[in-house]
Amino acid sequence: MALVLLAISLCASSALAETPLFVRDLLPVLEKAQCMECHQFNGVASTTRLQFPESGASSEEMEAFGDTLRKLVDRANPANSLLLMKPTNRAKHGGGLRIKPGSDEEVAVKAWIDHLLRTPASPGRTFARARTAKEQTVLRRLTHSQYDSTVRDLVGDHTFPSRQFPPEDFIDGFKNQYEGQSISPILAESYLNAAERVAANWQGKDPGPSFVKDFGLRAFRRPLTAEEEKRYSALYAQGKAKLVMEAMLQSPQFLFRLEATSNPAHKPYARAARLSYILWDTMPDEALLKATASGELDTAKGVEGAARRMLSDPRARQSADEFIAQWLRFDTVVTMVKERRAYPMFTREMALAMTEETRRLAADLIWSDKSFMDLFTAGYTFLNADLAALYRLSAPAEEFAKVSFPADSDRAGILGHATFLALTSKPADTSITARGLFVREQFLCQHVPQPPPGVNVNLPVQRADKPMTNRERLSVHLTNASCASCHNLIDPIGYGLEKYDGVGARREKLKVDLPRYDRRQDQKTVEIDIDASGWVTGIQSSEFNTAGGLGRVLAANPQCQECVVKQYFRYALGRHEGPADRPTIERISADFRKSGFRFQDMMISLVRWTEFPPSAELARNGKD
Amino acid sequence: MRPPLSRRSFLRGLAFARPVALALPPLEAMFNAAGTAYAADGAGAETRFVFWFNGNGIPEKYWIPSETGSDFVLTPCLSPLATFRNDIHVITGIDSPAARLPGPGNDHHRSMSALMTGTQFTGRGAGGASLDQVVAARIGGNSRFRSLQVGVSQESFGESVQRNMSWAGYDRPLPPEMLPHKLFDRLFGQREIGWINRKKSVLDAVRQDTVGLKKQLGATDQQRLSEHLDSVRDVEKSIATLPPQYYKVDEPEYDGDMKDWPRIAKLQSDLLAHAFITRQTRVASYMLTKCQGLTRFPWLGYTAARHHDYTHRDGKAPGADGPDGQRIMRDICRWHVEEFAYLLGKLRSIKEGEKSLLDSTMLLYVHEHAEANDHKNNGLSMILAGHAGRLRTGLHTRTTGTIGDLYWTVADDLMKSGVDRFPTASRKVGEILS
Repeated sequence: MALVLLAISLCASSALAETPLFVRDLLPVLEKAQCMECHQFNGVASTTRLQFPESGASSEEMEAFGDTLRKLVDRANPANSLLLMKPTNRAKHGGGLRIKPGSDEEVAVKAWIDHLLRTPASPGRTFARARTAKEQTVLRRLTHSQYDSTVRDLVGDHTFPSRQFPPEDFIDGFKNQYEGQSISPILAESYLNAAERVAANWQGKDPGPSFVKDFGLRAFRRPLTAEEEKRYSALYAQGKAKLVMEAMLQSPQFLFRLEATSNPAHKPYARAARLSYILWDTMPDEALLKATASGELDTAKGVEGAARRMLSDPRARQSADEFIAQWLRFDTVVTMVKERRAYPMFTREMALAMTEETRRLAADLIWSDKSFMDLFTAGYTFLNADLAALYRLSAPAEEFAKVSFPADSDRAGILGHATFLALTSKPADTSITARGLFVREQFLCQHVPQPPPGVNVNLPVQRADKPMTNRERLSVHLTNASCASCHNLIDPIGYGLEKYDGVGARREKLKVDLPRYDRRQDQKTVEIDIDASGWVTGIQSSEFNTAGGLGRVLAANPQCQECVVKQYFRYALGRHEGPADRPTIERISADFRKSGFRFQDMMISLVRWTEFPPSAELARNGKD
Repeated sequence: MRPPLSRRSFLRGLAFARPVALALPPLEAMFNAAGTAYAADGAGAETRFVFWFNGNGIPEKYWIPSETGSDFVLTPCLSPLATFRNDIHVITGIDSPAARLPGPGNDHHRSMSALMTGTQFTGRGAGGASLDQVVAARIGGNSRFRSLQVGVSQESFGESVQRNMSWAGYDRPLPPEMLPHKLFDRLFGQREIGWINRKKSVLDAVRQDTVGLKKQLGATDQQRLSEHLDSVRDVEKSIATLPPQYYKVDEPEYDGDMKDWPRIAKLQSDLLAHAFITRQTRVASYMLTKCQGLTRFPWLGYTAARHHDYTHRDGKAPGADGPDGQRIMRDICRWHVEEFAYLLGKLRSIKEGEKSLLDSTMLLYVHEHAEANDHKNNGLSMILAGHAGRLRTGLHTRTTGTIGDLYWTVADDLMKSGVDRFPTASRKVGEILS
């Protein structure tokens, strides 16, 4: 037995010597060093020359990737290869020291460099095609807000039935990501109860058996099949319009949207439904169904025209509103809790006012057709009396009227909004890390790895003899190498916002409650200076010390501009973008830029390029 | 013949009751005149399983008994279990290795997925089926509800993995019902023959639509639609198997403070016990508070900060750094155990034939972390309770197994559900078996 084992291991090691395999020899080393946490499509190091394939790549794909690492090899002086210099931190590496000099892991990297030097480059191959199909969404459940709007438009029900449904969870940043959409028994029961109530409340005139066909077209957003017509006509005979309605409202054909239907007669209708749920958050109306039947949506031009028309409808505002609310996490703002002693002025009404301010600024930029990047730099905002007091401005005559910031104001754009500043704070103080993380993830679309499991995330506590600023307490993040690799990407952003407190009011000094060792002592509080010099690691000349300053850095940054597109893409398509979507995202981003960052143009462009993807056009021209 | 109990009077009974002794109406009022539903079947009572969770870990020095074996002294946190000494088995030292696999999420996300399912957090949810669902898949099929998910603390905070303890499978949360009147409605709501027939026709059409749609889909989406179909079937079954005595019940009338978690917890425990005795389900999960929960505790006098804030020593909860915070955590965890003890007491008070419901129920009480401050996910402390199966009771055991080892033993040896293995399991935890 032992001999056999030995023979096998000898075979294995000789095989290793003969044909190096990336997946076997180097990938485990790079995985252990956690390279792909940052060097991936949406990672913080996505703009560097190293980018790993998405998880789930085939081994063939991984081998091809291993071969492309030769671009990081210095043929003249192999010891100088970036592939070796970066992870060992001999050349300055954003991720710090990942592989120790002299370790077995370093030996493996060197061996791979040798291998690449000895072998010719294998011909470049693209694997995008195989992955396109996998990433395509075909089945999406109506979100709760879509359910409410749909029954409103379908049967005139204004009761918001989804308020009785189990709440939707945020998955991957939004509530509508299809991978998180399931129907649990308790949701199925909620649909049953809602359908029963909606049908019972319906006051419409029963038109007779034609109801099945007409209502079916609108409920299923396409003409019924012969089989369905038969099935529902039988129900009609049994219980008239209300029974048909009750059943259709529980049918998967109503609750789900089939994006890639195999029935050619249904294809244009699926497209119409996509348009209306993206742009309106509700079902197609009669005009759109007519346009669909007439073939208007069969061309890119037709789709653009329809989209433009749809944006002039008030329903488009509701849909864009919902995007803003989810992207900027209004849900956490309206449910957040603040320490009463630290923020006595904070109330639930104030939290609602915060979101209203941000909602109004976004709506103003979108619907007055201004540059959407002004979201980060706008020198005006919309305030009620509570917020004006919080910002120490004079209250406008009318609630939420437009107010210009004074010329010397440090505030501009949403980074100075209480929405952002408060939701990224703790109950009793700011959170430098949460602010930096929110900017990275929401505004730069960069995925920042979580702290590794088991790390002690408690910060040093305040000491009476040496009170510290939050920045000083966080210094451990930058002195400990394993923390620093990520925190130097995150924390410096938060540093620059430290002069805004946990609800978004300006503060010049930090109040520190000194610890008491005896409860009978009075609480002593000292005020210490705040160093609010911040920067965005990875963006040149990004030093700032005000909300407006950071806003100007972001507004001018191409990654931030593209991130607006990506976030809207995620919301509109119900999934995150993958490598196969790159050409689409690039086209939309180019259109967005060309339009001077008009959000409406971007919405139209998104619908146009997702319906008629650039890759498909290229494929038709035989280029690929 | 006694008139059937109305929902209104049932809830009034609950709503006005005080925590210590809930004035529940006598159960026979809910059954036919013969009152036979109380009696155990010839073959004996059916066994039940409760998977109990509350968030945020424990202060170990106030929770874990210093002594092992039968002479352990109840710690401050465990003191509410004084009258249940011989119904429980405290087990400490359980490891949750899947929580430490590198991957997405914070410590709570990772720990929760690992604790419930023995699998890694996917970035969206748990990576597999939770223990209660594994058990329900084997023993829940003949009940009106394959399983029930009961919750208490209605916090809006958190992502899917923090809000749900039951998982049907990879990324498939089963949300808990947190409103007593809704839970009541599911269990005892008004149902008439006409209504039932109508629902059957409707769901029949829905099922046929589903089958038709399924043909058009790829494998992944077929899978998702199957879940929908399963849910529809579950609903159909819950309608078809409705006990006839519930056809006529009054409309609900419900009021009271819905943020009073101790009161809600007791209402939910009462309803769960009634779901068991009326044989509507055999498996339940009970989520007292959320993972990484942010509850405040006005009934304990702790309103300055939220639960999770107290578990960080770095000043998230001002004034609760150090020993003060530990004492607050002690009181919070004692409250958790108090509510667990309430459920045990409720089960013990309901007789089924010769025995009590507690005799036919197995409960497992877990938290996502051991020592809360460190967010530690090895050396977890749990409580096993009830006499379904051959649980050894009256003991504190320190062991070294994984949650998989323990869950496998619970599901296979105690619940007799014939589960093969649970993720991370390699051996049975024999110490809990008599």
